[in-house]
Amino acid sequence: MSPSATTSTRQGGALKASLRWLLSTLAGGIFVLWAVATAIFFGIRMIPGDPAAAIMGGPGSQASAEALEAARIEYGLDQPLFVQYFGQLRRLAVGDLGTSYSLKSPVSEVLAEIVPSTLVLAGLALVVAWLMALLLAVLSTRISVVGSAVEIISAAVPHFWLASVLIMIFSTALGWFPPVSTNTPGGLVLPVVTLALPLAGFLGQVMRDSLEKAQHSAFALSARARGESEIGVLLRHSLRHAALPGIALSGWALGSLLSGAVVVESIFARPGLGRALLSAVTARDIPLVTGVALVSAGAYVLIMAVSDLAERLVDPRIGEP
Amino acid sequence: MTFAHPQAHKLIPAATVLAAALILSGCTSAKTSNDPSKDAGAPVTGGTLVYASGDAEPSCLDPHVGGNYPQALVASQYLETLYTKDADGKIIPWLAQDSTVTEDGLTRIVKIRDGIKFTDGTALDAEAVKVNFEHLLNPETASSTGYLALGKISSMTAVDATTLEIKLSSPDNSLLESFSMPWVAIESPTALKRSKAENCESPVGTGPFKVESWKKQDAVNLVRNADYALPVPEAGHAGPAYLDGITWRFIPEAATRFAALQAGQVQVIDNAQPDAIAAASKGASIKHLDAPRPGAANRIELNSSKAPFNDEKVREAFVHSVNVDAGIESLFFGTASRSYSPLSSVEPLAFSEKSLFSYDPAKAGELLDAAGWKDRDSAGYRIKDGNRLTLAFPVSTSQSIPAEQSLFEQMQATAKESGFEIKIKLLDISSWYGDLAKNDYNLVSAPYTKVGPSVLSILFHSKSTIPAPSGYFANLSQVKDPTLDELLDSAGTTKDPAQRKELYTEAQKMVLEGYYLLPLYDQQNHFLYSEKLKDVGTTTAVASPTFFDSWLAN
Amino acid sequence: MSIHNSMLPLTDPVLVSAGTRVPRPGATLARRLVRRLPTVIAAVVLLFFILAAIAPYLLAPDDPLAINPAAAFSPPGPGHLLGTDESGRDIYSRIIHGARPSLLIGAAATAAGLGLALVLGIAAGFGGRWLDFGIGRILEVLFALPGLLLALVFIALAGPGVGTTVLAVALTTAPGYARVIRGQIIALRASPMVEAATVLGRSRWRILTAHILPNALAPVAVLATLGLGQAVLWAASLSFLGLGSPPPAPEWGTMLSAGRTYLSLAWWMTFFPGLAIVILAGSATVLSRSMKAASSQ
Repeated sequence: MSPSATTSTRQGGALKASLRWLLSTLAGGIFVLWAVATAIFFGIRMIPGDPAAAIMGGPGSQASAEALEAARIEYGLDQPLFVQYFGQLRRLAVGDLGTSYSLKSPVSEVLAEIVPSTLVLAGLALVVAWLMALLLAVLSTRISVVGSAVEIISAAVPHFWLASVLIMIFSTALGWFPPVSTNTPGGLVLPVVTLALPLAGFLGQVMRDSLEKAQHSAFALSARARGESEIGVLLRHSLRHAALPGIALSGWALGSLLSGAVVVESIFARPGLGRALLSAVTARDIPLVTGVALVSAGAYVLIMAVSDLAERLVDPRIGEP
Repeated sequence: MTFAHPQAHKLIPAATVLAAALILSGCTSAKTSNDPSKDAGAPVTGGTLVYASGDAEPSCLDPHVGGNYPQALVASQYLETLYTKDADGKIIPWLAQDSTVTEDGLTRIVKIRDGIKFTDGTALDAEAVKVNFEHLLNPETASSTGYLALGKISSMTAVDATTLEIKLSSPDNSLLESFSMPWVAIESPTALKRSKAENCESPVGTGPFKVESWKKQDAVNLVRNADYALPVPEAGHAGPAYLDGITWRFIPEAATRFAALQAGQVQVIDNAQPDAIAAASKGASIKHLDAPRPGAANRIELNSSKAPFNDEKVREAFVHSVNVDAGIESLFFGTASRSYSPLSSVEPLAFSEKSLFSYDPAKAGELLDAAGWKDRDSAGYRIKDGNRLTLAFPVSTSQSIPAEQSLFEQMQATAKESGFEIKIKLLDISSWYGDLAKNDYNLVSAPYTKVGPSVLSILFHSKSTIPAPSGYFANLSQVKDPTLDELLDSAGTTKDPAQRKELYTEAQKMVLEGYYLLPLYDQQNHFLYSEKLKDVGTTTAVASPTFFDSWLAN
Repeated sequence: MSIHNSMLPLTDPVLVSAGTRVPRPGATLARRLVRRLPTVIAAVVLLFFILAAIAPYLLAPDDPLAINPAAAFSPPGPGHLLGTDESGRDIYSRIIHGARPSLLIGAAATAAGLGLALVLGIAAGFGGRWLDFGIGRILEVLFALPGLLLALVFIALAGPGVGTTVLAVALTTAPGYARVIRGQIIALRASPMVEAATVLGRSRWRILTAHILPNALAPVAVLATLGLGQAVLWAASLSFLGLGSPPPAPEWGTMLSAGRTYLSLAWWMTFFPGLAIVILAGSATVLSRSMKAASSQ
């Protein structure tokens, strides 16, 4: 075989591998979304209480039997469960998320209003957590005890407590930031810090381990031998390596920030996915719960795919069998 | 226009309120801690008020649908009612001009005021009112509060543009009180023709503000009704409202709400917590509006339908075993006073019987011994036939504020000394209703707001033990007593006010002396507002504040 | 907070770095002792809490449920070392007596989560390709669902209570553990030791019990220590949402969330229970790091 033929076979193989990766990722993603929709559908149906009552103003309403029956027919709740289930899957397949029981408007509209708000919050929190974690990791290579202590404490602080303390200090006592979050820079500081700090404590612990390893690795030693300063070694070599595991974590960190957003959005009165989720579960609003779950599952799938892709680009060996 | 158009009753000085309360034994006016009926300075037009509500965001802005207090609060800004209450607690006409009832009490003629327009341009007339009541009585609307209030209406005829004839299935002397509640407020019939979803988004009324937009999970934006130009004798001014609009926000966290008020992000907060009110009263920048809700007092109901509370002695023993007063004193910082009546202190017909509710563990012990709960198990709880004296107490975390939850914990601790085991179960609202529907409770605390003493029929008549299809029923003590039913029926139908008072007093005596309930305090309705917001204090018949007269000082 | 921290085990440092701590050149005995000091302190703290959980009256003779409205909101002082709460209950007594329910929730939830994870992880790591694939997908779905959603739905289903809290926390933490355990087992299966055993014709069961499990369980012990603190944090979050331990149990998370209402009036109501949680979670983290370091040296 001529060298050129080998190259083209390799390229063809790479293309095929890429295609296979794309297809399997897509199939995996669709599977996850289907499973989440299924789990939510049956999980919430198992909670005692009549969904028709949830539609007609909740369990305390005086809705008559006729009104409940009308609601059942309108929302298809009179059908056998599996018919409802496949009906919902069919609608989901074409992107129809249904109408929220409690808000009486299309779930897609509700989500369109609140998703950006949570994205801004979670995205900023992730970036800030990252910066803080790097700072902590660097700090702990210098003053190990202080760095560790800060990491451990910040990773062990509950969001709701941190939020309350921050409001007391920075809103009420000092008046620096408003307690009710807005989309201005000042209005984002407190909720972002609340979400970011515990995450930073965790990321910092992870990075510190790699950082210490990198600091004592061969290339760091050789760099020092070449006469580079300690700071130079840290910035130019070690940090890059320390950041790698942190990057790998960011995917699910962003997903897990949603759970934190439930508390943070409630306390700082920010509209968003977390707050919607809490009220939707309380109101037994099945379409809205499903919508929020699908958005977060979709975000998870997307992020995992992107980070997988990034890893493949950095280290092509991963794709090979 | 010559006819008086009374705005919801106007705030009057605190001293007067106090005197009136003493004399009338029930005054409806809201009280503010520092209370000029008119603030100094010339009113300024302009500015948007930001109101922060701690209640759950309503699922529908039309209070006909469902019908709860959060809806009443916001709807009071853009909807108005046929009747309202004046400062003395008297029911007076508002959108209605006058009303008469026939001798047999079965036909009521309501005269509607002429020349009023809804904010969509539709004229208010008898037909419009008829459409509203039909909307309320239509099962599709799923009205709860309004539906119950109008339950006796059998048919209606719009005789002419301003005359509505209402036929009743039986006489109802509380109909005008019912007409004063925001849950039966009058909306534009044109707007009501839209789909339920549309009407929920932007109901159209005659009020000083109108709904401009509603960003779910964030805020309802209200703007001034520029055409609101009716003379209102009890209000401070004529013409449109001073404020450009109101941003009605939802801030579930009490601490955040208070911090936002302190930081100037919002100008009014509701559901102010006792400790925040106490803290605010120390300074001058935040003022307090205390507006107890009408209807029932906050109380704990004792489920008499099953053991152990099917035995009256055990109910009496429970009432004497709990120390309520000490808790109210330490947890409410002087913002709540103890009640000994099934009715709110703002109800003129409220009857109190303090002597029944003393904290007396010795007496509780005697009663329990007599009821056969003599022995105690190793944990100190009383037992009978091998069963422990256990009381299930589901508590709704969204209806009971933290101070109230703590009060229940203190009652749990004091009742333990007498041998009661109270099992408090903290639940979200749906699960809480679920436990009630399953009759899975011995103790329960549920609010009920209604104007007038007829709330007693809703809470204690045996027909209120029949659940709605959702499982909900209002008679949570499950008292079923033919004598009481008859008292309540006659009290609700008599034409003689003196007899009405006598019968309702008798009914209240019966439920108190039967130990079906343990009254705690008035339904708390505390508002805190910035001193920059002037002329606050006007409230509707259900004690929800209105901001027609309010203005923002620069 | 708890909510995302609870997912930490997934990417616990155990997996992320191979955990080889390079000893600093010239580390003297004294320096080594100083390095050990946090571990010793953490161990002592944990023992203290365990003692409190076993015999609370030894450390705090007063009744943690005794109310005294007249003494409500007393600041820390001679009468009440750490102050009193809104019902005049002694906070020191409540923290000591709260160690039992808090640790129990932490330990039971961690045990349940780890148990579930072990089954899933072993099945996935040792049960063949298809089982691995299937369980991998299940874990992925559990990850894709926000943990709090799982907990909220579960509590709505089963009703609130200590048992429900334990299971809700277990359910949300199990996927993280399972993934770590599966990774361990897969790595071990390919190890020379197991290959040798296979070549020697040992049965799969024997290989599992004699070679894979003991080695896979070492990092699990580390995870369990870490998970203890995280589970307590989770339970605290559920209390914040009104779904924690039923009153009047002096559970730390419930105390923390009750005290939040009075933050500006009585800081000690949240500060001390919060401190207990931080100290517990912190000591657990320190211990797990030391254990990891010891096992990898």
